Amino acid sequence: MTPGTVLLEAQHVTQRFRLPNGQNLEALRDVSLAVREQEVVALVGPSGCGKSTLLRLFAGLARPVEGKVLYRGQSLDGVLGAAAMVFQSFALLPWLTVAENVAMGLEARGVYGPARRDAVARAINLVGLDGFEQAYPKELSGGMKQRVGFARALAVAPEILLMDEPFGALDPLTAENLRSQVVDLWRDPATGVNTLVIVTHSVEEAVFLAGRIVVFGSNPGHVREEMTNPLPYPRQERSPEFEEMVDRLHAILTATLLPEPAPAAPQRLVPFPRVHVSEVTGLLDHLLTRPDGKGPVFELAEDLGVDYDRMSAVVRAAEQLGWVTTPGEIVQLTAAGREVMAMDDAARKDVTRARLAKQPLFARLVAMLKEGEGAVEDEEVLADLTIYFPFIPAESLFATLVEWGRYAELVDHDADAGRLMLLGWEGAAEARVE
Amino acid sequence: MKPLRLPSARPGLADVAILCLLGGVIATVVAFAREFEAPFAQAVRIDLRPAALPRYTLYSLSRGVLALVISYLFALGFGWAAAKSRAAERLLLPLLDILQSIPVLGFLPGLVLGLMSLFPTRNVGLELAAILMIFTAQAWNLALSFYNSLKALPPQLRDACKVAGWPPGRTFRQLEVPAAAQGLVWNGMLSMAGGWFFLMVNEAFRLGNRDYRLPGIGSYMSVALDQGNLRAAGLAITAMVVMIVCVDQLLWRPLVVWVEKFRLDESGDGGPAPSSWVLEFLRRARLPRGAAVFQRRAYRRARRAARPLERPFRAVGPIILRGPRFAFEHPVPRMVGVGLAIVAVAAAAALGAWRLWLLLAQLGWAEWAKLVSSAALTFARVMGAVILSTAWALPAGVVIGRSPRIARALQPVIQVVASFPAPMLFPLVILLFERISIGLGLGAVALMVLAGQWYILFNVISAVAAIPQQLKDATAAFRLPRWRRWRALYLPAAAPALVMGWVTAAGGAWNGSIVAEYIEAGGALRTTKGLGSLISEATADANFPLLAGGIALMSLIVVGWNRIVWRSLMEWARTRFGYAQ
Repeated sequence: MTPGTVLLEAQHVTQRFRLPNGQNLEALRDVSLAVREQEVVALVGPSGCGKSTLLRLFAGLARPVEGKVLYRGQSLDGVLGAAAMVFQSFALLPWLTVAENVAMGLEARGVYGPARRDAVARAINLVGLDGFEQAYPKELSGGMKQRVGFARALAVAPEILLMDEPFGALDPLTAENLRSQVVDLWRDPATGVNTLVIVTHSVEEAVFLAGRIVVFGSNPGHVREEMTNPLPYPRQERSPEFEEMVDRLHAILTATLLPEPAPAAPQRLVPFPRVHVSEVTGLLDHLLTRPDGKGPVFELAEDLGVDYDRMSAVVRAAEQLGWVTTPGEIVQLTAAGREVMAMDDAARKDVTRARLAKQPLFARLVAMLKEGEGAVEDEEVLADLTIYFPFIPAESLFATLVEWGRYAELVDHDADAGRLMLLGWEGAAEARVE
Repeated sequence: MKPLRLPSARPGLADVAILCLLGGVIATVVAFAREFEAPFAQAVRIDLRPAALPRYTLYSLSRGVLALVISYLFALGFGWAAAKSRAAERLLLPLLDILQSIPVLGFLPGLVLGLMSLFPTRNVGLELAAILMIFTAQAWNLALSFYNSLKALPPQLRDACKVAGWPPGRTFRQLEVPAAAQGLVWNGMLSMAGGWFFLMVNEAFRLGNRDYRLPGIGSYMSVALDQGNLRAAGLAITAMVVMIVCVDQLLWRPLVVWVEKFRLDESGDGGPAPSSWVLEFLRRARLPRGAAVFQRRAYRRARRAARPLERPFRAVGPIILRGPRFAFEHPVPRMVGVGLAIVAVAAAAALGAWRLWLLLAQLGWAEWAKLVSSAALTFARVMGAVILSTAWALPAGVVIGRSPRIARALQPVIQVVASFPAPMLFPLVILLFERISIGLGLGAVALMVLAGQWYILFNVISAVAAIPQQLKDATAAFRLPRWRRWRALYLPAAAPALVMGWVTAAGGAWNGSIVAEYIEAGGALRTTKGLGSLISEATADANFPLLAGGIALMSLIVVGWNRIVWRSLMEWARTRFGYAQ
């Protein structure tokens, strides 16, 4: 199938939100992307990279702060009638039956009476839910619910089907089954759907479904790279071509998630990844069991049962502490990493403290604490974090700092008084008693 | 579209019951409408024979129900506006906070006089005043509940409705109201109970040298007490209890069971699903289903008839909407609109403040001194009432909440007892106190306990019942002694709810002071010094400056105390003892 005319287009789109704490979050910055007729486009990237935001802009559910979204060359005005949407959380109304949920979009498109009944019956038949017309959503399993979600979208015979992690809330078996059905639906001319845009978290899913895969980077969300996927449909997940495609996408994602540090960069303030102490030690433990103490990041994620952007955050933390290096997409345990795993708890804490004190963000925190005679108000630290990392929710970064600081016995936090204290500082004991 | 599951062919007992009920409702509505339209009589003669009591009860019930309907309409509008517009939110939420904590009873005289001048010859004015007074006790928590439901709605559901192309009206009917249904019904129950609180005062009160009285169970009670007819008073109390039980069984229980359908989260709370014999009975009936089919057919026919009009309307609609849309979306007209709204609100507020100032300016130093010293006395009583209520309701609540069995057995009883308007008992309690020679000065504290204790009990019960089983198991597994178990688990877990209970209980006690410090029983008037009695006295003497001063002072104390003490206490209890990590 050759891509035809441009259906949907985002031109230099920027989107911002105001968080409840007043922080301004830039979800997308200057993103341009065109979706053509007959295409299946997958949007992938770490969480918080704005891919779902872009999908909502395409659906006309939100307007960009800057830039334009066009449908067939026309600027979008309100919800796009040519599109239907499938949600990760299904978004079914619990008090309506399956048939009533599927019929939700028909009235607005002027479909009434017998025509409406037919459209509902056809859509329900397409997803294989015959017999469940009068059931309420709460009587259905997750997979069945998402079938209703698909039927609701298909009932309006949309030109474009927008899907926001449609299989994210399903168990792997159900997801696989529904995924191949989506390909069938797209290839079936009877459905009227000829263009798909899917936001996904899974590399295999993107390679299985999409003809073009767009990789997003975060902070703020932007398009990093595009990759075409010419494999013929239906795709065989065990074939070497498929595996190769998956590896290529892995490599691109690794470059996005674990960027090589710029060699001559001055000591820049980098955020500490928001991961727990136990996750980093868990990773090192796992690496110790592997030959040569190394492995590709995606394999590690799979073995440990976490998704890849979580895994890469853990790897970045371990890297900042000097316990692993990341040549390409390989994670390699360093000599320091082996050493620290051989230590007892107290020695491990000492080493962690020494390493953290050199990490630029912690170094800055310690400097702040010394300036404040060993204690600083939470508010002050939060304000500082907001200035340096406007795109990262300051509270969660703060919580990470406190957790690591406490573990390394570098700082302590008094939640009742709302302040941080430097340990081992002669003024600290006094501040505590106060 | 739905295949009809037909019930048994012949109309059964359930259908007969429905017809009877319908007949009863129609008869009540007609009788009540006639009473509405009746020529104005300042103080209707109340017939104290028992046979007249059912009619009076139905009159009072009609007022309560009508007020509830108005409250629901208000709540939908208010909650929607506050949830949709950020500007409205900023204005309306603090307003709601103040309205629900000030003693609304003080506005009764002004309301009556205003409405009476609108309808000088008919009963309408007085009736409307009574209904509006009930409304002021019912509306606020409903509005807050609807607002909170709208705010808590999952955004994906909203998106799904938008993608489906639903117009706002349909989203309101089929998404927003159903999603809020549970909260609206539960709060409706509370509101109905709250609405009865001032029943007696609303139906029979004195303003200056004039006596106003409406036929109803509250005025029946007050006349019975005036004449010292304890048998009639006992009958009125029985009728009130019967009415509360009937409303609970016939209206609220079925509604509570029915709205289960509109639950958003699918995880049941584990407890047994509530059941209602009335709803079971009705579901067996044929009539409602027939009516539903008839209604659907009629709707479809109307739809079909209107179809030819739809196309032109759809073509013209966007053109008509262009003006308003421009006004809403273009920054300049929007700013002008917002500016005008702000000016209007500010002008109204300024006018109100000016009027209040004119009234307050008439008060001299002596009167202010009296107001302040009375307020101090009442404040002490309110705090005493809160402490006394806590002393019994906290342990009782923990014991009840800990055991699902006890909770299940006692809940319906407590619910009825709590719905009973405490002020109806005040005169009887005071007569009792006089026997054992306790004066009103102390007795009023007991009355205020009656008015506020239930909030504490209910809050503690539900908080303790919600303690995760694993925490209870943990304290049992480590064999914590009983007192340690209370201190380590039950009391901290109940703390945030306890503070919530204190807020409402104190509010109830302040409100109660108006009727607790100034009581007519056995044909004699008893008063004790306090802000409540000062307000009641000012009403009776039609001393409007003093009334305004009293109300303003009480509002100031209640709102200020809420803002400064309760709020920080609540914040502390939540962060210190909440489960959320």
